[in-house]
Amino acid sequence: MIPIRRPSKLVATGLALIASGCIALVAAAPARGSQQTAPTQGQGNPLQLDEGRRLYLESCSSCHGPQGEGARLSGGVAAPSLRGVGAASVDFYIATGRMPLADTNSQAVRKPPAFNDAQRAALVAYVTSLAPGGPPIPVVDLKGASLSAGAELFLTNCAACHNAAGVGGALSYGAFAPSLHPPTPVQIAEAQRIGPGNMPVFGPETLSDKQVDDVVRYVEYLQHPDDAGGAGLGHFGPIPEGFVGLLFGLGSLILFVAWVGTRA
Amino acid sequence: MTESNRPEGTEPHDPHFDPAARHPERAERTIAVAFVIATVAGLALAVTYWLGGQTQAEGALLFVCLGGLGFGITLWGKALMAQGPFVQERENLIGSDEDKAAFKESFVRGEESFERRRFLLRLLFGGVGALGVALIFPIRSLGPSPGRTLFRTQWRKGTRMVRSDGSPVRISDLEVGGVLTVFPEGSVGSSDSQTLLLRPAPSPITTQPGREDWSPSGYLAFSKVCTHAGCPVGLYEHDRKQLLCPCHQSTFDVLQGCQPSFGPATRPLPQLQITVDENGFFRAVDDYTDPIGPGFWNRGRRKG
Amino acid sequence: MKSPTAAVSRWVDDRFAASRWVRTALNKIFPDHWSFMLGEIALYAFVVLVLTGIYLTFFFDPSLNKVIYKGSYAPLQGVEMSAAYRSTLDISFDVRAGLVMRQMHHWAAIIFIGAIVVHLARVFFTGAFRRPRELNWIVGVTLFILAFVNGFAGYSLPDDQLSGTGLRIAYSIILAIPLIGTWAASLVFGGEFPSEAIISRLYGIHILIVPAAIAILLVAHLGIMWHQKHTQFKIAGATENNVVGSPLWPSYAAKSVGLFFMVSAFVAGLGGLAQINPIWIYGPFVADRVSSASQPDWYMGWLEGALRIMPAWEVRAFGFEIPNPFFPGVLLPGITFGLLYAWPFLEQRFSKDRDPHNVLDRPRDRPLRTALGATALSFYFLLFLAGGTDVWAVILHASVNALVISFRVAVLALPPLVGVVTYYLCKELSGAGGGRRKPPAIVERSVDGGYEARPAPRPAGSPEPELAPEPLPETAGTTE
Repeated sequence: MIPIRRPSKLVATGLALIASGCIALVAAAPARGSQQTAPTQGQGNPLQLDEGRRLYLESCSSCHGPQGEGARLSGGVAAPSLRGVGAASVDFYIATGRMPLADTNSQAVRKPPAFNDAQRAALVAYVTSLAPGGPPIPVVDLKGASLSAGAELFLTNCAACHNAAGVGGALSYGAFAPSLHPPTPVQIAEAQRIGPGNMPVFGPETLSDKQVDDVVRYVEYLQHPDDAGGAGLGHFGPIPEGFVGLLFGLGSLILFVAWVGTRA
Repeated sequence: MTESNRPEGTEPHDPHFDPAARHPERAERTIAVAFVIATVAGLALAVTYWLGGQTQAEGALLFVCLGGLGFGITLWGKALMAQGPFVQERENLIGSDEDKAAFKESFVRGEESFERRRFLLRLLFGGVGALGVALIFPIRSLGPSPGRTLFRTQWRKGTRMVRSDGSPVRISDLEVGGVLTVFPEGSVGSSDSQTLLLRPAPSPITTQPGREDWSPSGYLAFSKVCTHAGCPVGLYEHDRKQLLCPCHQSTFDVLQGCQPSFGPATRPLPQLQITVDENGFFRAVDDYTDPIGPGFWNRGRRKG
Repeated sequence: MKSPTAAVSRWVDDRFAASRWVRTALNKIFPDHWSFMLGEIALYAFVVLVLTGIYLTFFFDPSLNKVIYKGSYAPLQGVEMSAAYRSTLDISFDVRAGLVMRQMHHWAAIIFIGAIVVHLARVFFTGAFRRPRELNWIVGVTLFILAFVNGFAGYSLPDDQLSGTGLRIAYSIILAIPLIGTWAASLVFGGEFPSEAIISRLYGIHILIVPAAIAILLVAHLGIMWHQKHTQFKIAGATENNVVGSPLWPSYAAKSVGLFFMVSAFVAGLGGLAQINPIWIYGPFVADRVSSASQPDWYMGWLEGALRIMPAWEVRAFGFEIPNPFFPGVLLPGITFGLLYAWPFLEQRFSKDRDPHNVLDRPRDRPLRTALGATALSFYFLLFLAGGTDVWAVILHASVNALVISFRVAVLALPPLVGVVTYYLCKELSGAGGGRRKPPAIVERSVDGGYEARPAPRPAGSPEPELAPEPLPETAGTTE
């Protein structure tokens, strides 16, 4: 840990972090994961840590505080403490572009990441050096993963929000469960462990590392599912099917009978 | 087109029997092409099937084959056959008075042989009625009496809580923010006993007055069956501490004992009182105190 | 006279003396109008349903016995499921031409009920249900209900997650019926949900009982139409006492057979190229699972929407209650189909028009009926849209709660508005003049630049009383 002493700086106002509470609570939970990968807690080399601190102070500290202690922002929402959130959390939010937050009034959404891989690793190293704890970045090993076990786990635990086809779904009051088509295997595994935003946390006692891999394997399948029946129609189920059947199918037939019923 | 619509009597050369098309030979050629395309597509369909089949090819070839036939036949009927317009009189659909009188006479004549023996007739009605009543009873075989099944689940005093793979659940199993679907031991998969185990906070939560000791270490257990139309309330929004039913968007406030806060549901999801045994396993204190799931007319009358 | 056709017809005629009747039949005149073929689309969609359905019965196993899947769809290999679900997977992946047949069956069902609704709307708006055709209207509405029931039964058969969710909701709706709900639900399902019996019961209903009833009523529907002769629009030469059109043989027959092939063609095209109900994605039904965006097929959408936007109200007194789903799930369809059945008689009662009608109304000439129809259609269309609030929320990036509240308002506010607009639009189009419009004015510009307005002469023809038994205005030979 590298202590940083600085006069406390006024945090930026007007920031409301919808995804904040979750990280704060994750921080309170002990880490249980066994598989780890670089970068891990506080093990970065000094150069990397310096780079991480620089980036942190530049882009993160205005909300999360100079030492990652979090801050209460105007609007009553807390920017969560980052102390002890763990590497998976930092890596997930930065790699998916959800942090730094662009629109502070709505759910953190996926966007092109603001940092490259080295910068992200530096930030992970620095933030995890502030305090121990939190889930590490999972190592995804799809060689031993079972597609059918993943399907069962996905349909039981994930489909209620993300839809059986993984295309995402609506939550209450404008929140939504995002589509699972863009994330990478590591990000899918990280999300299960940290429970970003409104997502519940799936700790190692709920889903083992092997089961997390199974789920990742099935989500990868859903990104390119077997559309044996033809065009997938967005995989939103009976609604697009109804519109295609009525507007295209019945519509074409009505045009046909309009032609048949017209005298030459 | 409106000028030719005159349905007049037939003449030696009746234009109504001419082909409708202005250029019949052109229509004939189009029809021929359609039939040839249909034939080719039909043969290709047979080959596709023979080679092992492929859904998209089958659908497309079937479309071309059937569409070619349909278009060709329709055009034949539309362009090469007489269209008229022809006219036909409608018959009178109101019966004449003579017919009505004759019918009545015939009917009454037959009716008299019944009317004369009214006693027999009544007995006959009695017999048919009894048969009808007797035939209603087999409907009873279709299902068991609802009895008390709707008032109870498989949870009993001290039943251990297990996951869908049958393994028991410990006090240390959920992270804060975690959620798990659990069942009473021995009834994994039971539709009416399915229960959500949530851990919104690390310490006990009083969701309603009188439920001070219902949430060891911040664990809460609620029926997973929506009180509106019975879907599994599988959508847990951890940040908002809400359960949302994906079927009809009923929303339940977890920290307030799953009182409904939006949507059509009128009643809270019943909360299961849970406790931790000496080995750290969760157990139910007793069955749900309220009937779980959707409402029915006498739900408030009998406690299970 | 050596042709096989002649030989066969002679053989038949020597035994049934059929030639007289058949000759009359061949010469029968059918009025030509495109809207008269909408019902035919439904008829031929039903034929496609029967043909593809027969094929599917050879492979489908309506059993809830638990089996382990060993077929060729990798993501579910080794998963425990019902035999019904497994056989549906087999039809989709391991029976050659099975998937195209299954998908054709489902697309045909969607088009079947769609065509019924459009046909029903045509009959309603043109007044084709009036005397002497009230009974055929009743037969038609019954066919609509049967199609609706059979669609739901078929949707429920594969025992996938979506169909199980639908059955769960159906069970809850039956349970909500006052007094008899608990018994009715138990008798229909053979016990508490999910029962072992429901799939095999629905199978018998879906492949035998309802299709047989539909077939019988279809014969009655067509037979009554044949006997009473088809209605017609007021084209040149058409009167109440004749039929103007083309003969059954050969031109109408050719066009109709062509339409059958065309309906089959579009069903087949969709069946091969557009995926419908990919049950392998939804997974086998498990009671504690659910997927977001769980929707029924389109024709159930209005009920789904009504269930969603119904406020959290229910009736409770003395320990008894009328649960919330009763109102949108039982009362609404009861009123809907009840009103449909009663409509011809209601209209007769209020219009005092009990005369036979063979010439159709133009919708614009019956503003009140057309406005009421438009009101009802917009009401059901809004309910239908409300059935997809969660999907619209994702697509529009909107709040599902805001959408639900908007639909609650819209369902009550928009249909009357649509009705009023339709009413005045009809008045305008029918050229009846009058109404509550201001009399038109002619504005003249004088040579020195001034303007002067004077009332225009009123258009000829007086406004018609609503639903009055008067003849339609001459439309100068237009064929609509």
